Amino acid sequence: MRFLLEHPAPAGLDDLVRTAEAAHAAGLDGVLVTEWPQLPGALVSAAAIAARVGEVLVAAEVAVGARHPVEIAEEAAVTDLASGGRLVLVARPAGEEPGRFAESLDVIRHALAARPFRFEGTHWHVPANLPENVDQPEERVRVTPAPAQPRLEVWGTGPGRSEALERALGHLADEGDDPAELGRAWAAAESSPASIGAPRGRRERWSGAADLVERLQRGRTVFGQDWAVVAAPPEAAAEIGSLVRPRVQLHRLTPGLEQFWDEERPWERGGR
Amino acid sequence: MATIDRIGVSLWTMQSTAARPGLWRALYRRLGEDARLAEELGFHAVWLGEHRVWYDGWCPAPLQALAHVAGSTSTIHLGTAMYLVPQHDPAAAARSIATLDHLSGGRVELGTGLGYRDAEFDALGLRRDRRGRLMDAALDTMEAVWRGDLGDPPPVRRPAPRIWMGGMAEPAIARAASRGYGLMLPQTLSLDQYRSVAAGYRAQAAQPGVVGALREVWVSDDPAACERHRRRIGLHLTEEAGSWWALKGRFGFEARDQVDRQVARGISQVAAGPAEQVAEALRAVLAAGVEYLALRPVFEFVEQAELHEQLRRLAEEVVPLLDGAAAA
Repeated sequence: MRFLLEHPAPAGLDDLVRTAEAAHAAGLDGVLVTEWPQLPGALVSAAAIAARVGEVLVAAEVAVGARHPVEIAEEAAVTDLASGGRLVLVARPAGEEPGRFAESLDVIRHALAARPFRFEGTHWHVPANLPENVDQPEERVRVTPAPAQPRLEVWGTGPGRSEALERALGHLADEGDDPAELGRAWAAAESSPASIGAPRGRRERWSGAADLVERLQRGRTVFGQDWAVVAAPPEAAAEIGSLVRPRVQLHRLTPGLEQFWDEERPWERGGR
Repeated sequence: MATIDRIGVSLWTMQSTAARPGLWRALYRRLGEDARLAEELGFHAVWLGEHRVWYDGWCPAPLQALAHVAGSTSTIHLGTAMYLVPQHDPAAAARSIATLDHLSGGRVELGTGLGYRDAEFDALGLRRDRRGRLMDAALDTMEAVWRGDLGDPPPVRRPAPRIWMGGMAEPAIARAASRGYGLMLPQTLSLDQYRSVAAGYRAQAAQPGVVGALREVWVSDDPAACERHRRRIGLHLTEEAGSWWALKGRFGFEARDQVDRQVARGISQVAAGPAEQVAEALRAVLAAGVEYLALRPVFEFVEQAELHEQLRRLAEEVVPLLDGAAAA
């Protein structure tokens, strides 16, 4: 199981940096930033955090479907380069038009690949070859620069579940998603070899270590959850790192290990 | 106001070219390092450019690159020269700019340009011939977002991040004058052109903003090194103009004589030489009505150590010689 910490309502860069530093100190994988009302540019926030805190992953949740997907891909590629290859792009459907989110996902993935492409969809035409524009229209377009990562992770979230699963992308479920329905959707996707290893995450609220451990164990058993995005203040990171994370890494723990942890509380002596 | 408050450095583009290939992620790391030195030396701002869909990876997302700079520094301002406004979703752009403003504590300097390359507009499904209209509509939307008309919180810098209009065409000057934006003039103008454009702008504007200019500079006591630098800029500009200009249906390279003439004009404006000589050229620009300079020693073919020496020499040898150079 991997963990991303999400600040519930950051006031500014200091809150984001404290969250990322707390995740790093606690051995969590990284942070998730989203389009908060106060800080609506998630990729701008992601690039700023990455400059201040090394090594952690920075997942950015971005509205996809309204604006041009090439623009989103360019911003993601630059953010990935500026972070040294630590970006995860989490796409949340924006707008109402059916099909637009799916097409946008496809254009983004074409654009993040290191080759010229042409896309003829219902909503997007890339390049557009508008008659007013060009004397010498280009048949294909190459979006540059390429991201740092060979294949940038693009996950779907929110109402974009089926589009993400159809494409064997990662999927981040919302906290309130019905577990049984989620289990069926993920199990159906697992039947395709293309989906092996595709990240399966869920947003979790922080309600104490014991409660989170129980939910994650159930999530893993019932629908194969392997990522947890925990909305928690930076102060909770240490408990997630010492109490939650060790308990959900393996299929089972050695008999006696949990009791040892409960009695000896080794992290209290471990120099933290 | 100390002179250095009116001097920024430019123009980071993170290009990996045939002349000087570079690993893109290393170029972005270097950007942060360069900006830290520029901040330490007291420069007002670092300025980044924008272009897209070209082989060298010219940075298409300067706001995200500037967010990296914001996280790497604490006081230096974060400029675009230019952010190609018509090529972005205006509300999303305004919100990304507001985020950068917020995270950086109000350090954004938004230079805005129309963009000109057909392939860039076409990749995004936009009509190049509508770019003026797109610009006006986008600026209206962006101002509305920052005013809070759409429910967004106010920017740190009030009433909004400072906007500079790029270009020198009449509509650009009129747009800047009527909206109360500053000007960021191109590097290719003669002193007479700076004088007339700046005067025309100030005559039109009820409340004129700052008039700035990009200027290419190279400080060296070695005439051969200066000549070599000019030649390298010439090759850089030739590649760009040859590939990007559409001249009556032909690419620039198919009208090489026109490209060569324009490149020669560009090179003639490079201030290269000993510190005193560079300062003299810049004092002349300041005397022609320009109040802010975005000095450009940054090109992809300039190695980092070389660039850092240039930044030091500009701050320590050239800028002190500009003190007292009054705007007309």
